Amino acid sequence: MTAGTRRAAALGLVGLLAVGVLVVPSAALAESRRERLDNGLTVIVRENPVAPVVAVSLLVKMGTRWEAPATAGIANFVHAVMVKGTAKRTGAELAEAVAALGGKISATGDVDYSEIRASSLARFWRDLLGFVAELALEPTLLPDDVDRERDWLLSRVQKRRDNASSRAFDAFYAALYGPHPYALPVLGTPESLARIDHAAIVAAYRAGYRPDRMVLAVSGQVAASEVLAEAQRRFGGVARDGAGVDPPVPAPIASARRVELEMPAQQSQILAGSLAPPLDHPDHAAVKVLSTILGGGMAGRLFAELRDKQGLAYTATSYYDPVREPGALVLYLGTAPENAPKAEAALLAEVERIRRDPVSTEELTRAKGYLLGRYAMDRRTNERLAWYLAFYAVEGQPPDFPERYRQAVEAVSTADILRVARRYLATLTTLVVRAR
Amino acid sequence: MNPVVRTFGVRGALLGAVLLLASGCAAVGAYSATSAGPPMPVREVLPNGVVLIAQEHRASDVVAVQLWMRMGGRDEAPDELGLAHYIEHMIFKGTPTYPPGSIDRLIEGFGGTSNAFTSYDTTHYDFVVPAEHLRATVALLADLAMNASFPPDEIEREKKVVFEEMNLVEDDPDKFLVRRLYEVAYAPHPYGRPLLGTREFIERLRRDQLLAFYRKHFVPKSMAVVVVGAVTPGEVRSAAVATFGRIPPGSAGRPELSPPPTIDRSRRVDVQRPEQQAYLGLAWKTAPTGDEDIYPVDLLTYILGDSPSSRLNQAVRERQRLVSSIEAGYGAWQKAGLVTVNARLDPENAEKAEAAILDVIRKVRETGVTEAERQRAIITAESSYAFDIETAEGLAKAYGQAETTWTLADEVAYLGRLRQIGAAEIQAVARKYFGDDTYARVRFIPTGPPR
Repeated sequence: MTAGTRRAAALGLVGLLAVGVLVVPSAALAESRRERLDNGLTVIVRENPVAPVVAVSLLVKMGTRWEAPATAGIANFVHAVMVKGTAKRTGAELAEAVAALGGKISATGDVDYSEIRASSLARFWRDLLGFVAELALEPTLLPDDVDRERDWLLSRVQKRRDNASSRAFDAFYAALYGPHPYALPVLGTPESLARIDHAAIVAAYRAGYRPDRMVLAVSGQVAASEVLAEAQRRFGGVARDGAGVDPPVPAPIASARRVELEMPAQQSQILAGSLAPPLDHPDHAAVKVLSTILGGGMAGRLFAELRDKQGLAYTATSYYDPVREPGALVLYLGTAPENAPKAEAALLAEVERIRRDPVSTEELTRAKGYLLGRYAMDRRTNERLAWYLAFYAVEGQPPDFPERYRQAVEAVSTADILRVARRYLATLTTLVVRAR
Repeated sequence: MNPVVRTFGVRGALLGAVLLLASGCAAVGAYSATSAGPPMPVREVLPNGVVLIAQEHRASDVVAVQLWMRMGGRDEAPDELGLAHYIEHMIFKGTPTYPPGSIDRLIEGFGGTSNAFTSYDTTHYDFVVPAEHLRATVALLADLAMNASFPPDEIEREKKVVFEEMNLVEDDPDKFLVRRLYEVAYAPHPYGRPLLGTREFIERLRRDQLLAFYRKHFVPKSMAVVVVGAVTPGEVRSAAVATFGRIPPGSAGRPELSPPPTIDRSRRVDVQRPEQQAYLGLAWKTAPTGDEDIYPVDLLTYILGDSPSSRLNQAVRERQRLVSSIEAGYGAWQKAGLVTVNARLDPENAEKAEAAILDVIRKVRETGVTEAERQRAIITAESSYAFDIETAEGLAKAYGQAETTWTLADEVAYLGRLRQIGAAEIQAVARKYFGDDTYARVRFIPTGPPR
């Protein structure tokens, strides 16, 4: 993954949370089955017969979106401590037990969710599901582990700050989102990590790991009915405990800010961007195409104009990741320090151009092909397939999301591009990290 | 993303270690017992000699299109080292139909990816694209195989890229150690050559040399086209017959190759390097592809050095604390295999660590391996293979490698054979190949003062 982004890649469109058992037609041959256990936990299974492997993605609604400056990074912190041991075995023993299934297991925090991810040979799917349940439901969360992991996380925060592009992205999101929690780094800050103690970790774990906040997705050479029954056995006993309603999140306020930082580095970093629709917004597909026209690969305008033609940047790309709350459309350049002022001006000129002139049909077609091709390419492994299934569910999207998304992208017109460019690129936040 | 980053080297995944140079025809196999009648690849030899292998694989909506050439570093003359790899780069620089730069843009416009690899026995050119672009991609690949232009200015420009690739390998001690081990173990045999070539030759490389090598080796009899993905074999056949099927037949230009000689104590080299840590690499000559011993050698390699619970890790790293990391890998080639053991360590422990590694191997020779170790190794092998073939390109790669360096039938039967290997057979190959004196050794010694 590029140093800059902090979110997984996926896409979105409008939809309602599907409940109950249903069979879902999907673009590919395999079908997925989705079921909601009585305690509220959602289980999705996709039978994928092509290889004797299985992947599990357990997503839980805890992440940056529910954090505040004082608790920044707590979701990721909880997961770092969780993998240190369960009621039945140490973290090292757990890793070794899963390795003996020909597999692996890990846990991390993210923006809209946190994830326990595991995979193994398909014939051990039952054992694997057992280990995922053990890690999710019976972590020991020892005080000593909290202290050890805090030190490790602090070193990672420091490392991230020492890296020019990740520091630039963190500062950019902070400037763009203001009071909204998406302004916070997933890893947290030295101040927040120092303040989060054992009691806070335990409390955050308990608040997050409730059945109605969890989605379990399984993809691989398995029988869906057996997996659903086993999921019921492993997770069905978790008590539903009347989880409260999430508190409202402060809205971000778009402002035309320009922030400049300085740090020792080889390259200068230039980010310009704006608030963009969330993944369930009708404009989501059009903004994905807009982002692709500007920064999608070698034929993207930023690469073609600023790198190929003008030689003003090494890296020239764009990001627009699907999230539940307002997204961010980010245009990103990495450039030699002496070229930075020219590169920034050229970047802003590209923004003006796309807000002024309609794109050609050819450019639009290429961008759609690139976008949808990349989307298909990203759903090749069971690990990614399981994640996508869980992700759409945790974001409240319907199971046929990929097909709806594909149709929405195909339907985007040149007029749509002009409209969303004018609407969403009107107020730019700019962040420059000057190399010294 | 950058089209010029075309890694050389082959899979080492099945082979227990992520060694870039370690190849493995051994990396093949069949489906697990839980699989209900897995689809089999369809293989056909077109009238001009091109082998076509196709399989429907609907894990996603993409298709992998690969061209495998029975041509690699071993086919170069001693004074033209690096030609096969250079051609790998130049193929993507265009044809009369596709001007320079347009190929990468075409594939990228599909949302797809391109890549290519050169090894001793083979080279292969890979595309992964959404399935609807099957015909266009097969046609492109056939055009590259027949009509590469080798534009003179592109040839010159690419020299910098290849030199940079050489620097990258040299800068990476793990990669460079394996590279040096092959050279020390086998030189002057072709398996001991630098696949990227020599700076001297690449600097003076001319277009006519590239063209002559290209014309000699890019003949239908040397080609295997492998297509796996969300397409039917019928669709693949139709696309391939119309393109690859039209290449005029020619005589295959590959000479026979004799196996490399036995390794003895003379094959030991110390290299001064700028790193703080020292590196130790040992290599034993073992079974080539096609040999029945590949199965027990593969399992032995896993048992020795695949995971934290492996013998070398437990003995040399955990108990004796002589190394900070250690791993074993198995590269199986058509004329020989090489099992490598690589460790990172403090320079003062180099002698002790080498003795400890030999002790671990001696113990396997004397008392064999346990049933638990054997079973764990089989699961690791299965897992490595299973995750390789879950994507269309991974399965295509397994088939292409088998077709060009082994056989497709052996590939499909691999895991079944592996499961039947007993502890006695593993001990037998330890005795047969792993002598106290029959290994090559490379050590990287820090030039700076120790920390």
